[in-house]
Amino acid sequence: MSTNERSIWEKIADQLRSKSLWMLHYCTGCGAIELPPSMTSRFDMERFGMGPMATPRQADILFITGYLSAKTLRRVIYTYEQMPEPKYVIGFGSCTLNGGIYYDSYATINRLDYYIPVDLYIAGCMPRPEALLEAFNELMRMIRKGEANGWKRYKENYEWYKQNQLRSLGEVFIHDEFHE
Amino acid sequence: MISLTNLILVFLIGSIVSYLLTKANKILGSIFNFLLISYALYVVWNIKVGHEEVLFRILRDVERTLKVTNLGKYFAIVSLIVISFVAFFIIEWIRKKDIKPAAFNSFLLLMVSGILGVFFSNDLLTLYIFWEIAVLGSFLIVPMGKKESKRAAIIYVVTSAIGSYMYLFATFSIYQRYGILSFEQVSQYLANDSSNLFKWFVILFIASAGIAKSGIFPLHTWLRITHGNAPDAFSAVLSGQLVKMGSYVLAIALSVFPTTQLFSSFYHGVPLLNYVLIWLGNISILIGTFMAIRQNDMKQLIAFSSIANGGYILVGLGIMNSIGYAGGLFHVFNHAIAAAMIFLSFAAVVYRTGTTKIDEMGGLIWRMPWTFVTYLVGIISLAGIPPTSGFISKWMIFSSLVSKGMFITLAITFIGSVGSFLYVFRPLAGVFLGQLKRKHSDVKEVPIIMLVPMLLFVILTILIGVYPKPVLDSIVSIENEVGIKAIEHSGTIIKTPLGQWNTLTVFTMFSVGFIIAAILYMIFPKGKKVDLTDQYTGGEYLYNYDLYHYATGFYRFIERLYDKHPSFEKLYEKLVSFFRYIGYFTYKLVYKTSPSGYVFWITIVILILFWVRW
Amino acid sequence: MTVLRVIAVLLTGFFVGLTLEGIARKIMARVQRRYGPPWYQNFIDVFKALSKRGISHGWIFDFGILMALGGVIATLAFVPLGDLVAFPGLDNIFIIVYLFAVGALGMAMGMVGSGNPNASIGVARALTQMLGYEVPYLVAIAGVLYYYKTSSVSGLMMAQQDTWTLFKMPIGGIVAFISLLGMLGKKPFDTPIAPAEIASGPMVELSAKYMGLLMLMHTFSIFVEISLFVDIFLGISNYLTFLLKFTVVWIIATLISAVLPRFRIEQVVKFYWKVPLSLAFVQVLFVLLGWVF
Repeated sequence: MSTNERSIWEKIADQLRSKSLWMLHYCTGCGAIELPPSMTSRFDMERFGMGPMATPRQADILFITGYLSAKTLRRVIYTYEQMPEPKYVIGFGSCTLNGGIYYDSYATINRLDYYIPVDLYIAGCMPRPEALLEAFNELMRMIRKGEANGWKRYKENYEWYKQNQLRSLGEVFIHDEFHE
Repeated sequence: MISLTNLILVFLIGSIVSYLLTKANKILGSIFNFLLISYALYVVWNIKVGHEEVLFRILRDVERTLKVTNLGKYFAIVSLIVISFVAFFIIEWIRKKDIKPAAFNSFLLLMVSGILGVFFSNDLLTLYIFWEIAVLGSFLIVPMGKKESKRAAIIYVVTSAIGSYMYLFATFSIYQRYGILSFEQVSQYLANDSSNLFKWFVILFIASAGIAKSGIFPLHTWLRITHGNAPDAFSAVLSGQLVKMGSYVLAIALSVFPTTQLFSSFYHGVPLLNYVLIWLGNISILIGTFMAIRQNDMKQLIAFSSIANGGYILVGLGIMNSIGYAGGLFHVFNHAIAAAMIFLSFAAVVYRTGTTKIDEMGGLIWRMPWTFVTYLVGIISLAGIPPTSGFISKWMIFSSLVSKGMFITLAITFIGSVGSFLYVFRPLAGVFLGQLKRKHSDVKEVPIIMLVPMLLFVILTILIGVYPKPVLDSIVSIENEVGIKAIEHSGTIIKTPLGQWNTLTVFTMFSVGFIIAAILYMIFPKGKKVDLTDQYTGGEYLYNYDLYHYATGFYRFIERLYDKHPSFEKLYEKLVSFFRYIGYFTYKLVYKTSPSGYVFWITIVILILFWVRW
Repeated sequence: MTVLRVIAVLLTGFFVGLTLEGIARKIMARVQRRYGPPWYQNFIDVFKALSKRGISHGWIFDFGILMALGGVIATLAFVPLGDLVAFPGLDNIFIIVYLFAVGALGMAMGMVGSGNPNASIGVARALTQMLGYEVPYLVAIAGVLYYYKTSSVSGLMMAQQDTWTLFKMPIGGIVAFISLLGMLGKKPFDTPIAPAEIASGPMVELSAKYMGLLMLMHTFSIFVEISLFVDIFLGISNYLTFLLKFTVVWIIATLISAVLPRFRIEQVVKFYWKVPLSLAFVQVLFVLLGWVF
């Protein structure tokens, strides 16, 4: 991929980024329950320099647990676009991968990757904290290697993503808080 | 060089000329005003200390003279700087106002003539006469503001009258007892007087004029109403200059009749009388600070801050040692400049938006950046943060309080100082920062003529903050004059028994820090500029960003703690309604609508007349 | 020489400050029976934040950050670190306390300039908290100044020839330490940046570079606050013993904050004005009466 070339500064920066990942968790699905054990004393996420953040402005990872309904998807896209670059997305659980048990629901989306670029999926329903930590380690490796390029993909294929988003969400005719 | 008497006469005549000129052309009259006041500044700047001239004679054997003292000259220069800057501001400001410009300009000059007389009069009675001229001029300008301002003017003049009549009473008592009125003689006679009670009475009653004028508790209530409702540009004169006239009388009461020599020491060299006055200052600081935190009207907020700062000045002057007195005098300068700056920036905001309510505005920094800069530097000076001049005076007051061991006063001045961070931030966040209101999206910066005096104030504040020598020099000469040990300073280094500091080093270090921060800022990747409406909202979509602005009840969580505070304003209101009730009762008793009532009263009167066989 | 000393002070502030913050995180983790991040974690965090591409909300946002960092750097230069004094004789306590407010004002201005109400709420809370802790702190310090008759911080340190001020005026020392916890924004007093209530308060719109600069500012402010306490209360020290005392104070503060929940903001003010302020008055009364050990 052409976007994979990095300057020396970028390489150093990527090393740092991989060791200090701040996470914004978007927890509308049931997978959120797996986060507390991975943060607290049993698995202790902080030893990798990871921690939760309150706002998208400071976050590096957008962590999406479980299904996204069409309404929440709009918020996720909004939040994703507010994050500073470089930014990474982790899809947690089968729901983000292929819809999971909601595969035939009219209200949820099936594949997150159509709408925002996902760097890493964690499959399972639900994945255990061990799987979560494994995924984080994998993401760190990817960042160090310069393979976690979702944000670049999003910029390059912005038209395509926007098209998908529009197709799924439909156009909004009345612009106010209740219709979007 | 024109003599002082003639200068005052020129102003009295000038006020009529200004009236006619402004009738013909608004701007011409205002320019005339500005030139005349600047000329007065020039004259006062160059006048020699010790210069004396006869004004007129009324009482037998007593000449009314004008004398230039260091104290009076310092106050006069500070006042005229403020007024001349404001007069420049008015040139543009008055064009759009629907007030009566001719009367405004004429009364402004009348007021200035009174002020000049106050600061240069050499005896108690002349001071009183000019005092009333100044009050008259300002009293007539106040009702030109908002709807409520007629009532404000009444309250202003009544409060002022309470103080000045007490002053007059003391003056005549002195004349009755000694037969003299000039300051030097009075202070000599007082020093030889054996009656302690008389000395207390004289100094407290003379000081009460200052207490009323500079908004010290218990006569502080007029400031909120008057400053809040006066014409916007005139509020700058009210707070920046007229209040300082009160400080001048306090300085005279405390130092020209030297209280430290008249009375024995009560606590670490501070006489009981000074201690009482310091406590009045303390209460003013508390009231001013806590009430300012509550205000939603930006002009009333700064009016309350004027009460607090009047308290600071009184505390500084009341200590009467070299550092404290110098701190009080320096604070006169600082607060005059800072309050004038802040009120001018508010006048600019009101000029464009037409409101003084903090929660009706927001984000004006994106439309009026220079007004914002003025306000910012003004509040930095008001809150006493280096490198502006406001810190120097606060530091002096703190140092002298520590060295005197007056810890409760010290704690209250700290509350006032930290509290000022709170209340000055409220207009900053509510009016200038935050989301720009949609209805204000086409507001423009005020014209250049209004900006010039505002920015000159900014430069003056920072300049004196970095190089305070001019002000310190005049304070040294004042202290030599009134017989207090002068403070030590060498240009930028100010020394106290508790230690010293160098304004220039602090400023240099601040610049260095800023440069280091700027270098760090430059070398790392550039940020992307986004709109003000691109906000973290918890993922929510907003369409009315007017509502996404935190200005209403800014400090509600702390206001809640003293919601049920005792209020002197309400007490006075009750007093007023009591008198009104008595009047109403008499009215009801005497005036009847029916003829029978009149017949009844007439019969009674005739019967009494017959009874006393008159 | 002055330039070199200033550089030494700033570098100490940077390295020691960030290291100790990392150690504090480690201690916090151990209290919670976790392993915790490595001690150099905060260096990584700062440089990572600086390396990202952030967003800015206009010139006041940028200017506020610069003023915050600049003000705090200026303050730090005046603080004596043991025998390392950049400006001997000019290190007046009031200057340090008030120059410190420049940084706070700059931060408040920049953050509110972002236009987010969460930031405004956070700043309003921070200022209110300042009203709470500054008054008892300054009264306690004023007692010390009155006793030693100097307001120069290095002078105060050198005056403790026989015993530490902490032992001379134990109540004042305790008051200053409680106020120090509020200044540091440690746990019972971290109301201004409550992440769960107001999305980390003032920092809500800060991203990347801006966040990095603010983290540096935060580190320097912590360094200034604790250094003042160490200099005034913990006896004469040279550079090394100063750092040792600094570490001990910081660790105690961290341990206290590790086990306490958060106050509401009016509780903070009520607490500070009830307990520490009255204790501070008791202390200055003792000083006035000459009851100093």
